[in-house]
Amino acid sequence: MSLSRFLLKRSLHGLFVVWGVITVVFGLRVIAPGDPANVLLPPNVDPEVRQQVIRELGLNEPLYVQYFEFVAGIPTGDLGLSLTTRTPVAARVLAKLPATLELAVAATVVAVIIAIPLGVISATRRHDPADYGATVFSLLGISTPNFWLGVMLIILFAVQLDMFPTSRRPVGFDTIVAQALALQFGSAWDALTTWLWHITLPAITLGTYFTALITRLTRSGMLDELGKTYVRASRAKGLPETLVRYKHVLRNTLIPVITVVGLQLGTLIGGAVITEAVFAWPGLGSLIINSFNARDWPVLQGSLIVVGAGFVVTNILVDAFYAYLNPQVTYD
Amino acid sequence: MISPRTLRNLKKELSHSVLAKAGIVVVVFMVAMAIFAPLVAPYSPGQQNLDQAREPPLGFTTKETKEVTKTENGSVVIENGQVVTENQTVYNNATLAHPLGTDGNGRDILSRVIYGARTSMLVGLLGTALAALIGVTVGLSAGYYRGRVDDALMRTADIMLAFPSLILAVALVGVWGQAAFRIPDPFVATGFTEWWRGLVGLSAGPMPGDIVLPGTVIVVVALVNWVWFARVSRGEALSVREEEYVKAAKALGANDSRVLGRHVLPNAITPILVLATVQVAAIILLESALSFLGLSGASVSWGFDIALGRQYQSTSWWISAIPGIAIVLTVIGLNLVGDWLRDALDPGIDGEGGV
Amino acid sequence: MADEILKVRDLKTRFFTEEGQVNAVEGVSFDVRDGEIYGIVGESGSGKSVTALSLIDLVESPGRVTSGEVWYRNTELAEEFRDENPEAVDGEFVDVRRLPKGVRRSLRGPSFSMIFQDPMSSFNPSLTVGEQIAEAVEVQRRARANPRRTRSRTQGYGLGKMLVDSLVPSKSYVQDASMDRAVELLEQVGIPDPVDRADEYPHQFSGGMLQRAMIAQALAGEPDVLVADEPTTALDVTIQAQILNLLRDLQRDEGMSVVMITHDLGVIARMCDRVGVMYAGEIVERGTLEDVFENPVHPYTQGLLGSIPDLADPAPRLQPIEGNVPSLIDSEMGDRCYFADRCPKAMEDCLQRIPEFDAEKAGASDDEHRVRCVLAERQYDESQALHDGHFEEQEVAADD
Repeated sequence: MSLSRFLLKRSLHGLFVVWGVITVVFGLRVIAPGDPANVLLPPNVDPEVRQQVIRELGLNEPLYVQYFEFVAGIPTGDLGLSLTTRTPVAARVLAKLPATLELAVAATVVAVIIAIPLGVISATRRHDPADYGATVFSLLGISTPNFWLGVMLIILFAVQLDMFPTSRRPVGFDTIVAQALALQFGSAWDALTTWLWHITLPAITLGTYFTALITRLTRSGMLDELGKTYVRASRAKGLPETLVRYKHVLRNTLIPVITVVGLQLGTLIGGAVITEAVFAWPGLGSLIINSFNARDWPVLQGSLIVVGAGFVVTNILVDAFYAYLNPQVTYD
Repeated sequence: MISPRTLRNLKKELSHSVLAKAGIVVVVFMVAMAIFAPLVAPYSPGQQNLDQAREPPLGFTTKETKEVTKTENGSVVIENGQVVTENQTVYNNATLAHPLGTDGNGRDILSRVIYGARTSMLVGLLGTALAALIGVTVGLSAGYYRGRVDDALMRTADIMLAFPSLILAVALVGVWGQAAFRIPDPFVATGFTEWWRGLVGLSAGPMPGDIVLPGTVIVVVALVNWVWFARVSRGEALSVREEEYVKAAKALGANDSRVLGRHVLPNAITPILVLATVQVAAIILLESALSFLGLSGASVSWGFDIALGRQYQSTSWWISAIPGIAIVLTVIGLNLVGDWLRDALDPGIDGEGGV
Repeated sequence: MADEILKVRDLKTRFFTEEGQVNAVEGVSFDVRDGEIYGIVGESGSGKSVTALSLIDLVESPGRVTSGEVWYRNTELAEEFRDENPEAVDGEFVDVRRLPKGVRRSLRGPSFSMIFQDPMSSFNPSLTVGEQIAEAVEVQRRARANPRRTRSRTQGYGLGKMLVDSLVPSKSYVQDASMDRAVELLEQVGIPDPVDRADEYPHQFSGGMLQRAMIAQALAGEPDVLVADEPTTALDVTIQAQILNLLRDLQRDEGMSVVMITHDLGVIARMCDRVGVMYAGEIVERGTLEDVFENPVHPYTQGLLGSIPDLADPAPRLQPIEGNVPSLIDSEMGDRCYFADRCPKAMEDCLQRIPEFDAEKAGASDDEHRVRCVLAERQYDESQALHDGHFEEQEVAADD
């Protein structure tokens, strides 16, 4: 099967999963006790007004009609109206998305930059202090709840040492890009430093688990790989050790690591929710928690759909990258 | 189910590995703390003492500046008709009465950590058990019957995995609320607690009479995590169903449930056991995250206490720090036990999950 | 008579494992001459593969070559190190083990090369076969362009290229000229459509074709000595013959020497000029093929050859000899002939370390026939024979 057919097949499967996500999300609201109208209305409201609101929300229709309208709206970008602000859910979700993406990307970048060299050092210098250090770090990293790590980082670096701010995101990455494109490099630079200054602690908080996980995977994968005969054969033909390790071994190590990291993207988004809660970071996670507290079902549903769809799309991309890197993949 | 050879491997790995021993010690310690909480906790976890609020743990002293009413010779100083205040440096010293310090309401942190272990262990163990029950049943049937059952399972699993576990858990808690059951604590109900505390000289203060079982949270974490069990047991069932002895058993007329129970399940038990160990850790992390967000409804929980401590983060770091250390220790312990089981039994699976 | 290209003296390789020190190679000596095929034959676990790896300096942790000399004839190196390191030089020969690490590595390719048992696992699965062969060409090309640089760890392969290579399938190290040479090499080893096949991945090759490709890779540096470790064991019988013929033809065309490591007496009989028989980390008997096969002195060699009536019709498999290959763990080996416990002619004299004897007295016609057995010097004497249960009793005594 060719790569393009493989991608087509993956995309169709992805569409199916997104449909499943939408259905589950619709189902959640249906089985939820309580009447959404109650969120909007004071407890002792005139029953007639109440009926009118229920009609407006479409809650008087049979369930299958509601479901059909819900599903049909999604391709057009219609995720309904927020119960609390009466504004389109899609706009609210989109407005919060960049902050979460920034955080997730920053955490992933931090994780990859630290974890891969750490894993390589750990695997190539076994039983060295560096190896023990990396092993202890990765065990701690996968065992530490990130919200607690966040609180500790705030106490140490923000409260005690006053090196970083405790919370918030005064400037988004889009601002930096806009200013740079407008050739206002001075203010773009200022914005960039402010941005970096604010995102450092949240990115470390979110990235630590991943750093630890990737370190672990890189180390064990590289040790496996170094024991294979082709490594010995590469040395036998006179290749310098650097070439053996990095051109041959590291690349083969990273192929499976990429798949696992792809599978863990869900964990990353889940981690982002709670990291945002710790740092008052105004992203999708904060939106989910707030709409949960306000019982704003449409917003909660919309956020879940966006998160689920995002996961599906990223996974297809990861699969494609994997197929591109690994000539042995059979596409099925 | 567990052969003598397996036991030998377990012992061999254990004798090699200091880390595995440490993991077992930590896990046993935490479980014991959870079970015997009313017998070992110095105080009731809810007992407040505002005079002793925010005492640091042993070995630490904190200094804070407080605004107090100025007094001279025992009487309040009044100037220009106003009560005069002054800044006074107050030293908070650690006391033996509260070795891990006290929280913002003067509750003993050690006692809260001990009782918090109950919540974590209850949710971790019951949640994993429920997840395993659902996942193994579904996974074994899917792998054994193949065909449509299998397709349906795999598709469901794909959909479930598209939701980050924490977000799905938040949504499910939103659906079902935060129902909790209370069951009487057997140590307290039988009067053993009172007798024992008198005997060893612990404060008599009435201990909580009920064990709080966070029902929704247990169901939710199980619904979020069953997929991993389903995947592993499906894989085992797929490989075992082609074995000769399974075919032979079927040819001899054994019915499906008998084949599944007698032949397929025992083969799958090792990887399920390893997965379960790692899952207890993942579920404890998930529970603490829900509690931290204030969504689990638990009033004594490590995650919840970390959140409570945030109000005092500028002065009293330990209120948040100590329950977190308890979580880290427990999860490390479970991960080490998981590594040990995996190395000894080598079922070839990866531990998944986490917050 | 041809000159020696390689003189191995008293080579010892140990593995330091949790179970104890394993003496995988225990004082091995032999010579390889210009343009000959030297065979090393033994059962699995006799240390023959470790001997091969020790020659080419590829023993990996926890193993280490602990002592011995590997004299390699190379006038250039001898000149270069004569003043700097006189101990390492003897006439035209240099002791490879005494050379600096970087120099030792630079010998892999142009001086020594190796082919392995299982071609499928000896190629990196995620690079094309052509690129992997071209790498071997490229190393030598760069070495000629800048001899000093070859001896560095990186050979000009920097961080940037490394990062790119780990994420993108690229050929940033290999230049086009080397790719062309790789295609020529593939053609030389008899691979049809070499241009297309060079762009294929190892899993697209059959075992026999891949073994040809590995031979091409080993030839890339035009080595003086090619070490072939069980080159046909993983292949079908019909393909085995083709590969052996190819090896012999190439050896003649290129004029190189080959060290052929195998457990297969048929291969030895068919290919080799001279042969060493390994047992428990030692070469127990060595000499010309004819002499060792026709006048074996060591009871182990005799046992191996037991069922072979004549050289024209050699049995392809080893004759089973009663008992097990010894464990090679240092503490369990003791001072004795290691074969004594399985030997039908074990005597009290065998309970000491046996040196290498000249085999002439025992009827050998080749004056270089050496054997590690007291029977080279004296006749078997039944009155001194060890009784059947001797070694079992020793073990029981040791356990108590």
